Amino acid sequence: MNASMFLTIFISAVFINNVILSRFLGLCSFIAISKETRPALAMSLAVMFVTTMSSIITWLIYRFLLIPFNMAYLRTISFILVIATFVQLVEMIIRKFAPALYRFFGIYLPLITVNCAVLGVAVLNSDMFFTADGKSMSGGFLYAAFQGICVGLGYTLAMLLMSAIRERLELCNVPKALKDFPLGFIIASIMSMAFMGFNGFRI
Amino acid sequence: MKNSFKELIKGLIHENPTFVLMLGLCPTLAVSISLINGLGMGVAATFVIIFSNILIAALKDVIPDKVRIPCYIVVIATFVTITELVMKAYFPPLNRALGIYVPLIVVNCIVLGRAEAFASKNKILNSLMDGIGMGIGFTMALLLISGIRELLGSGKLFGYNVFSNFEPMLIIAMPSGALLVIGLLLGFFNFLKGRKA
Amino acid sequence: MSKLIVPSSPHLHSGESVSRIMWTVILCLIPAGAAGVIIFGLSALWTIILAVVSAVLCEWLIQALTKRKISVLDGSAILTGLLLAYNLPAQVPFWIPIIGAIFSISIAKMAFGGLGQNIFNPALAGRVFLMASWPKYLTIFTKPFNYDAVTSATPLALLKEGKLVQHIPNWDLFLGIRGGCIGEVCIIALLAGALFLLIRGYISWHIPVSFIATAGLLTWAFGGKTFFSGDWIFHILSGGLILGAFFMATDYVTSPLTRKGHLVFGIGCGALTAVIRLWGGYPEGVSYAILIMNAATPLVDRYTKNRVYGTKIK
Repeated sequence: MNASMFLTIFISAVFINNVILSRFLGLCSFIAISKETRPALAMSLAVMFVTTMSSIITWLIYRFLLIPFNMAYLRTISFILVIATFVQLVEMIIRKFAPALYRFFGIYLPLITVNCAVLGVAVLNSDMFFTADGKSMSGGFLYAAFQGICVGLGYTLAMLLMSAIRERLELCNVPKALKDFPLGFIIASIMSMAFMGFNGFRI
Repeated sequence: MKNSFKELIKGLIHENPTFVLMLGLCPTLAVSISLINGLGMGVAATFVIIFSNILIAALKDVIPDKVRIPCYIVVIATFVTITELVMKAYFPPLNRALGIYVPLIVVNCIVLGRAEAFASKNKILNSLMDGIGMGIGFTMALLLISGIRELLGSGKLFGYNVFSNFEPMLIIAMPSGALLVIGLLLGFFNFLKGRKA
Repeated sequence: MSKLIVPSSPHLHSGESVSRIMWTVILCLIPAGAAGVIIFGLSALWTIILAVVSAVLCEWLIQALTKRKISVLDGSAILTGLLLAYNLPAQVPFWIPIIGAIFSISIAKMAFGGLGQNIFNPALAGRVFLMASWPKYLTIFTKPFNYDAVTSATPLALLKEGKLVQHIPNWDLFLGIRGGCIGEVCIIALLAGALFLLIRGYISWHIPVSFIATAGLLTWAFGGKTFFSGDWIFHILSGGLILGAFFMATDYVTSPLTRKGHLVFGIGCGALTAVIRLWGGYPEGVSYAILIMNAATPLVDRYTKNRVYGTKIK
């Protein structure tokens, strides 16, 4: 475990392999909820929270349940169940104890269950921080948790940029055939080209 | 019978999952680098859609309404796991190429979307037809995108060289190229729709 | 939400128009292009002509097909073509500037609705598109004053590969005697044009100064073997920093509206440029830096909007 690994994870997850712009995870929500900045921010924060927590939980389950009992093939099914349960739980807790917060991002929480970014980062963690024969890397737990945060950050960055751009485009005279979704993809494409400047990043 | 035939063909064009319903975009963009990958993903997803549609339509009276989404997810995840294991055993190169996008079929919105919007309300036969139609529609869209990307991005089709003297447009094979291709395709279809109307 | 704040009347027309600004900027760019042609030979001139002509034709074609007002003579398409060519090496195959110009105009400009509505600088989007598509042609440069010989080495590329053995005299960098893109090499010609724009008030100093200062500061601090020993003069004079800072980052449409926004934009560009140059995989980061900040411009605008007197900050 060393500090430069954390920096590499950060740069990679936020810029080079940005969840949305390069891995295409969470693309549906990215295109659907990025029309205005405020909901986009709410969604992003909710996603960041869930990716972080689910990274932690799924790592623990993979390490202490699936691998010791030789059930790694149940990875997909157990991860998605855990994530769905967790999201449901969070939704209930927030609704009960923080109604204001619930109004802020309550409706986005259930959507997160089927947000591929969340399952994606869990699967990535189990691919990246475990060796092929199922041994955990040293420091793997911290890496996984940190990767969860960074994937959420990358999602937030792309969401914020995109929503502000689209707010501005509301005032523009965009060709009719390209309105909304097609232009959204074109913007994402140019953004992704710009982020290619970080390719081959080395400290 | 005529009715179920209608369920079959609606997924191909009028309710094409990718271009009209805009579902399941993540795997579409991520794996569409070559026709082989696109076909592999299309077939895998079709398999999952068909069987989860059948099972959910069969169980729709048994599943309590309140916990239906988790139940659907378990059903879908089961078929995805089967796909994953079969692919790992028999098509290891394809499995490596598709990577994390195979387990991610679970959260492919097409599958859950069809389960929730169609299979939970319809008979088994119609659900089967709907699943086949949606699966083929998805595969067709994947083949279209991956065909364009393979041709422009590496000058090949199904791995065979098409042009003798061609400088491949590398960007089309990259993530930003995928976004560009689908953006322009969607614009093109919108344009066609606008002309018809 | 209104972006355009109109104060109370009376209003006086200043006699400025979009096309006049565009033509002035083009005029100010000509010395740098002329220097590029002298340094790299006639192939540079061909690249420039091809890019400009295809940009204009492409815009005209799109406007004719979509039955919009034909406005190719407002100079913006010419400027885009010119800037695109300035960001290309001299000896590229003839189809590179053509495809680049088509991408710049059709995707990065017209798809957004045309002049004044694009989010990204069209010329830079075109360059980055070409760079990602055909990297091998975009990294072969002509040797200065040796029109047939090619080299793959700009000073920054040599630095990145650790092959910068002898120090290139700053004076050579200043005059543009080095490998590089057509319009970026001759610093003195660029500065002359930029000075004119500054004096006439067509661009403000905020973006270029904060851009260059930030890049210089960061390369000085982290560019050397120890802290604060980097060769910041070399970093400022090489690559496309001067061209980018004065002529591309200052584009009205794709940069923020307020002075405060300008500073944020410039500092962001400078920091990203330095980070990509020092630690990234590419030797040069100016175009990526400006594009990323273009993407951030609406967000910057949102948080640096001038407050209407008497209202609360949201």
